[in-house]
Amino acid sequence: MIDEQVYRAIIDAAEDRRAVALATVLHTRGSVPRHAGSKMIIDPARGLIGTIGGGCGEADVIAAAAEVVQSGLPRVVDVELTDAIDSWSPAVCGGVMQILIEPV
Amino acid sequence: MSEPVTAARAAQAALDAAAGGSAVAIVALVQAGAPVTRLIMRDDGVVEGSLGHAVLDEFGNRLAREALSKPDPEPRVESVTVSDVPYQLYVEAHRAPDHLIIVGAGHIAVPLAHLGILLGFRVTVLDDREEMATPDRFDDETRVLRADFAVDPFAGVRIDGRSYIALVTRGHRWDYDCLHRIVAGDAKPRYLGMIGSRRRVRAAFHALLESGVPRDVLATVRAPIGLELNAETPAEIAVAIAAEIVAVRRGSDIASISSRERVLDRFLRED
Repeated sequence: MIDEQVYRAIIDAAEDRRAVALATVLHTRGSVPRHAGSKMIIDPARGLIGTIGGGCGEADVIAAAAEVVQSGLPRVVDVELTDAIDSWSPAVCGGVMQILIEPV
Repeated sequence: MSEPVTAARAAQAALDAAAGGSAVAIVALVQAGAPVTRLIMRDDGVVEGSLGHAVLDEFGNRLAREALSKPDPEPRVESVTVSDVPYQLYVEAHRAPDHLIIVGAGHIAVPLAHLGILLGFRVTVLDDREEMATPDRFDDETRVLRADFAVDPFAGVRIDGRSYIALVTRGHRWDYDCLHRIVAGDAKPRYLGMIGSRRRVRAAFHALLESGVPRDVLATVRAPIGLELNAETPAEIAVAIAAEIVAVRRGSDIASISSRERVLDRFLRED
């Protein structure tokens, strides 16, 4: 089942001509919280809609999304969730996610 | 050349597909620093948009066709090199979820519709009685339709290879009429089950054979419906039906009541 809320948010943002970024998980390796195809909207005015994995790597994506909204050009980021298991970091899922972040 | 496919256009195509429109595959050319280009292929082969390069489009069309040919394709990336330049394509497909059609809105339909939603089905419940075909007896996501069993119980309901049909009306006569209509029609559901005792199933199959329904078509009907759970309450019966539907969906051949009873083979032998 697709996450209708995220898809509707993409359409709404485009109709309102509001600059937001869309993150899509392209590819994953190892143990990751969300799978390929997962989507999240980063809307500077309204916050996040959907999720690509909660604490695990989302902060990196949000930072990159700010640049994408500014430049109007997409970025592809690799998020590594391979911090040591005893580090108390949220990024200990153990995998790698490749994420496309594009302007909407 | 058609209009460029924006992220919003792709999102709309995905939503339309999920709502029961034609399935689509969306292929995106992903290059850091360059705008994403996309093409959308519908399951009838019609293509909208372009990746911006004829060779890439050809490759993208192939990826799209491949994704559309699978029942449950995972989104994935594929690399392709054109004139020594590497490109990365991303493809995802969207189609309507499997459709559980429950005929008869009685005691079994309520828990069965609930289970259907939990299992990720689109759920439609049909009944000819106004007081039963009411949405307030069902989850919000369930579509409840007032049907005319005497004319066409399936008016406005599309039956195809993603349909799972459970015949659980209040009376065997209605189950029989609905079964007759489906097995005599061209549309073949993925799952077709009918409730009833061995005796009633036998009478139904006998009448259908007499009316010219081919034996091999009847052999696909799950009647009596459900897995053998010794179910008694409506909720238990719904679980037995839902479990059989999952078994069919996932290709398991765990013991169904119909395979134990073998009504067609035991009681209605070929001469």
